Amino acid sequence: MDDKTSPTLEEFRARAALSGLPLTPEDIEELHKGYVGLVRLMVRIPKKWDWAAEPPQVFRADE
Amino acid sequence: MSKRSSELTTLTIAQAGDLLARREITATALTEAFLARIAAVDHKIASYITVTADLARRAAAQADRELGHGVRRGPLHGIPIALKDIYETEGVLTTGHSHLRKDHVPSVDAETVRRLKAGGAIILGKLATHEFANGAMTPDQPFPAAKNPWNTAYQPGGSSSGSGAAVAAGLCMGAMGSDTGGSIRNPAGFCGIAGIKPTYGLVSRCGIFPLAFSLDTAGPMTWTVEDSALMLDVLAGYDPNDQASAKAPKVDYGAASHRSIKGMRIAFARGWHEDATPDTLKGIDEAVRVLRDLGAIVEEVVFPDLWDYHICGRVIITVEAHAIHRQEVIETPQSFGYTTRRRFQLGAFLTAEQYVSALRFRRQLQLDTRAAMRGYDLILAANQWGPPEPFKEPQPIFHFLDKASFAMPFNVTGQPALTLCCGFGSDSFPLAFQLVGRPFDEASVFAAGAAFERATPWRLHRPSL
Repeated sequence: MDDKTSPTLEEFRARAALSGLPLTPEDIEELHKGYVGLVRLMVRIPKKWDWAAEPPQVFRADE
Repeated sequence: MSKRSSELTTLTIAQAGDLLARREITATALTEAFLARIAAVDHKIASYITVTADLARRAAAQADRELGHGVRRGPLHGIPIALKDIYETEGVLTTGHSHLRKDHVPSVDAETVRRLKAGGAIILGKLATHEFANGAMTPDQPFPAAKNPWNTAYQPGGSSSGSGAAVAAGLCMGAMGSDTGGSIRNPAGFCGIAGIKPTYGLVSRCGIFPLAFSLDTAGPMTWTVEDSALMLDVLAGYDPNDQASAKAPKVDYGAASHRSIKGMRIAFARGWHEDATPDTLKGIDEAVRVLRDLGAIVEEVVFPDLWDYHICGRVIITVEAHAIHRQEVIETPQSFGYTTRRRFQLGAFLTAEQYVSALRFRRQLQLDTRAAMRGYDLILAANQWGPPEPFKEPQPIFHFLDKASFAMPFNVTGQPALTLCCGFGSDSFPLAFQLVGRPFDEASVFAAGAAFERATPWRLHRPSL
């Protein structure tokens, strides 16, 4: 499953089982909606970066 | 000593400071006036979780002794303030508005609280918040939801909900909030007050419950912009116990709030808020007119898309908040409110690659914003799409999926961002906008904000409770 394709609820349940979290069926349904919503918006975040593009280790507003 | 109680609770910090310094009022009278007002009206808006009346009275008596001997510690000496209940306070309950900390009594003050006390401020108590500065205010939490003093059927905004409500209602002269994705500016706007998210690193977060380390900031919320400047004068400064703390030069923000803004260049991010309500559009256009009349040069500038900042910040918050609260959402998930639990659980489903991509994107947005702002001192942007939400159950779990936040861009870039009132809508709710500076240039932000307030009548209108 690609990070940026939306999983079905069934696929998401399988992933939830591996999360280490004690989740109710209702939790999983809500989290699925939230995850799908986030993934939809995350297409805005570029996936391809220069291999060495370094994120800020400690964010500095003054640099 | 002749001022009536209601007159005392509507003074600004600047006005009260002058009267205290001249011994025309006492810190004790001021404190008693606020304690009486809290007792009389706070049941209508539930802004306080804990009122520390005895501690406040002792601190006020101490302030009066010192002021009586001509010792003035600074602009907050004798000034009654209150704290969002995620600020740790020695010997005083600090709950995070959560069952998980409902009996938590810290042994040490947060660094910001230490600075406020050292500056002579009187702490009136601890204020309601969205649970751990994140979840909505829901009935499954141990304390009632704070309400909007302009209309108690509506939310005050959050997460610094009690801070916004208490300042607007005249239940303290200033309050501390925290801002990770808009949590100071959102309630400041909906409650019609001023609030500043300082530059990331300017104010210590040591001793404040974290939400997302790389975005968390702490800042003041007050009735006027000048009062926020006076509070920041006491709060700003390097703290070796906060890894993000910056060694920034000391600035007199109170003095900066009296600077002229003639010739100041302001980049207007008009493109972000074209779909806001007509009242909001009108309020912001009028704010632009006032700033131009004051001599500022305001020009429309195109910034990166609002949704880019929004999703970047949301991914970072979701992952970092999960890391902070993971153990508790595994061990006692039922102890969280139903929105908080799911918001903290969601981060378990994001990957390391997604998080690092968001951090890389953050760097890109920071550079793109700086480039767009080149040649300008400030950015002017909307603060909210329209009026606050009414209370209703159930509340949306993932509230951030429907609308992009006007606040998030400046959490992502780390810049200082001030929210201030620019009038009232046809529904009587306050309107607001943001003024945003270059990193560590809070002085220009305060200069423009305070000049705007002095030129407009909006600080004369208070909610009636």
